[in-house]
Amino acid sequence: MSCEPVRPSKEDSVSFDKQTTWEGAPFSVTVLMKAVPASTEVAMDPVTHTIVRDGGAAVLNPYDTAALELALELKAQLEGEGVPVVVSVLSMGISATADLLRDAVARGANRALLLSDRAFAGSDTLATSYALELGLRELGDQDLVLCGKMAVDGDTAQIGPEVAAGRRWPCVTGALSVEPAPLPQMTRAALAEAGLVASQVFEGEKRRVGVPLPCVVTVDKDAAALRMPSVTGVLEAQKSQVEVRGAAQLGADLAQCGLEGSPTQVVRCCVPETSGACRLLAGSPAQIAEQLSAIVDQSEGA
Amino acid sequence: MAALKPMDETLAGYLADESRTHGAAQAIAFPVSEAEVVEVVCQVRQDASGPITIQGARTGLAAGAVPYGGTVLNTSRMNRVTGLVSHGDGSFSVQVQPGVVLQDLRRDLERKSFDTTGWSQDSLDALEAFKAAPAQFFPTDPTETSACLGGMAACNASGARSFRYGPVRPHISGLRLVTAAGDVIDLVRGQVRAQDGILALATQSGASLEIPVPSYEMPQAKCASGYFASPAMDAVDLIIGSDGTLGVITQLTCDLLPVPALTWGVNCFFSAEDAALSFVELLQEAASAPAYVPAAEKPVASEAGTSVLQDAIVALEYFDGDALDILRAQRAQDPAFSSLPELRCQERVCVYCELAASDHGLMIEAVAKISEAMESVGAQPDLSWVGTMAADRERQRFFRHAVPESVNLLIDSYRAKDPAVTKVGSDMSVPRGKLRQVMELYRSTIQASGLQSAAWGHIGDNHLHVNLLPRNEAQWHQAKDLLALWAKEISAMGGAVSAEHGVGKIKRDFLMPMYGPEGVRAMARTKLALDPEGLFGQGTLFSLELLQEEAARQGVSGKGC
Repeated sequence: MSCEPVRPSKEDSVSFDKQTTWEGAPFSVTVLMKAVPASTEVAMDPVTHTIVRDGGAAVLNPYDTAALELALELKAQLEGEGVPVVVSVLSMGISATADLLRDAVARGANRALLLSDRAFAGSDTLATSYALELGLRELGDQDLVLCGKMAVDGDTAQIGPEVAAGRRWPCVTGALSVEPAPLPQMTRAALAEAGLVASQVFEGEKRRVGVPLPCVVTVDKDAAALRMPSVTGVLEAQKSQVEVRGAAQLGADLAQCGLEGSPTQVVRCCVPETSGACRLLAGSPAQIAEQLSAIVDQSEGA
Repeated sequence: MAALKPMDETLAGYLADESRTHGAAQAIAFPVSEAEVVEVVCQVRQDASGPITIQGARTGLAAGAVPYGGTVLNTSRMNRVTGLVSHGDGSFSVQVQPGVVLQDLRRDLERKSFDTTGWSQDSLDALEAFKAAPAQFFPTDPTETSACLGGMAACNASGARSFRYGPVRPHISGLRLVTAAGDVIDLVRGQVRAQDGILALATQSGASLEIPVPSYEMPQAKCASGYFASPAMDAVDLIIGSDGTLGVITQLTCDLLPVPALTWGVNCFFSAEDAALSFVELLQEAASAPAYVPAAEKPVASEAGTSVLQDAIVALEYFDGDALDILRAQRAQDPAFSSLPELRCQERVCVYCELAASDHGLMIEAVAKISEAMESVGAQPDLSWVGTMAADRERQRFFRHAVPESVNLLIDSYRAKDPAVTKVGSDMSVPRGKLRQVMELYRSTIQASGLQSAAWGHIGDNHLHVNLLPRNEAQWHQAKDLLALWAKEISAMGGAVSAEHGVGKIKRDFLMPMYGPEGVRAMARTKLALDPEGLFGQGTLFSLELLQEEAARQGVSGKGC
């Protein structure tokens, strides 16, 4: 009989005879998750050009479930090397979203936090990022934040980079895999400095990028299929507590929350036109950002 | 007008079905309406170009759609949903032509969107009520979703969910049938019942037919073996499962059910078959009586039957160790299978449970009962996959389909070395309480034969597809002999020689041990009362010789035109 191991070890990237000296709090990974409509046939509001959320069945955004799987695989890998890891899931949504977060716990997440308050209703990506930032603070120090590259309902792909920008952390987008950079000795400082190696498809080419910790990594839908929970996992998750926090408990500035804090106006929805033109920007990250900003201003003017 | 086309090479595909049996025919017709079916039947009788073999989507596994000469009447262009019925109590039925494909019907029901061309005002009004009502579905779930409804009715198809919902029979409340005389019979469930062994049918042209009902006893098991018969049977039930031998079904009224609020799948793994069988027996005990048992004969629910599982379990499926080993090997070498979850060493055999519940709390209670049942047979509840999301259930569905697919690939590799071999698979069921006995029969005879095997299927209904995988022609004959032995032994256990595929042409010899020669002759008399010339489905259920013998006794033609 042929039989495969439970999970293949990634011996190509990590040596197992190295020393691990881990001090302090566990390595903390938080996965941002969004509840999206279960149906692929959603109605659009003809005035606001946004999705009509009628309280129908919801599921976890498939990009976010891929991020959770990468987090759980990273946890298994690091724990195999003696590093304690806590994976938290964080969402902003209606109270029913707690069931979806509990489902994430059934699959292996350790902690779940739901941000739920009328004050958060109508949030655009900026207001959502603000609320999620408050949630991340509530969860404590973070080493890594993972989230889906985008949500299947909004398609903005802005949350990950916005959270990273708010924290002034580096961000890798559209990752297909993440793993710790090879290390001779596993310590918190060494891991933070060496960081992660992520693979991504960028402009049609697959490439591997290194990123120091802490950081934000957004994940592509095809990165991994989220493991199914076991019967035991489902039953134990029912006993777990999904923490719920409102705006006041988080000390939120209401001017930055919900509709009030959302400058986005959806004028119309369309498929963007693209051209094959390519222009390479050179210089330091700050210089590149400046050039990019000028290009955006220029195109808005046009 | 549906023209009869002479068969040529471009139409060769219509001489075979999924049983990989090939036949022959001189002509083919593709009617689009009942009126055109009548024309075809009359034309064939006039030209003496019979017999007629009725075809649907040709997904059958028993060669019922394979012609033995004459004319093929293919219903695939009769593929319209023709109406909707609102019963006023929140329940609905959908009326379909026989060529409607199951997956298309599912899509239309899910979207609540139909091509309503030609619908009556009543149907259009029912559609408005349907759109406002909770989502509905047609519960019969054969693995092959490209099957058509006419074919499903013809072989009394079922599939995994028959554990809860039974086969297709109880979900069809009416049908229209074109007879060999070119007449039409419109049957509505509840309107014509057998009396004194006779079904009295009236045709649209005003003719009266007296159809004798066979007096044999149907097995108390899932059954698609020959004509349904019981003392007060409904006329609709005679046509369902008749394998295209009594007439051409031109319309079906299919009853719908509300979609359960929640559906989860649970793959439970066990280290040995014995533990899995104990687990299945516990769940059978806890669940409702199967729907194939007529209502009056349903056993009273036991103490365990009052548990939450009684309402929750929809399907119980099995995958034995041999099947999982073949899947493991395939997964290791074929990237197309790489997205399957990994199978650990201790995961030797698998029972898949599909659960439905009206709310999350009840679903969790059902999962807790599954956990208890696993523990009580010495299994570890953490060796399981629970599909709570659509993406999970899609992986579980892929797993279930990947098992037979892997076995088919393996047998293809054997056939590459010896073209004479094919997979030899069983489709037999036994009554509740006989699971251990039939498994012992399978295991002991397979071991004695030395043949390779892989078994999976609907274990909740005591209905497994045990597949024998011969490597050469001698082993193929050995496998065929083994199948015949099982038919005899399973008949003796009170089981059915075909549980869901129908008998067609390739399993007709198995009817003899099941019903005995007199039972099969009684079935032939039933056919001849509706089809005195043996026009429809020649070679299906009966050999031509047997039918002609019985026709001679009855003083009718039976020549198949």
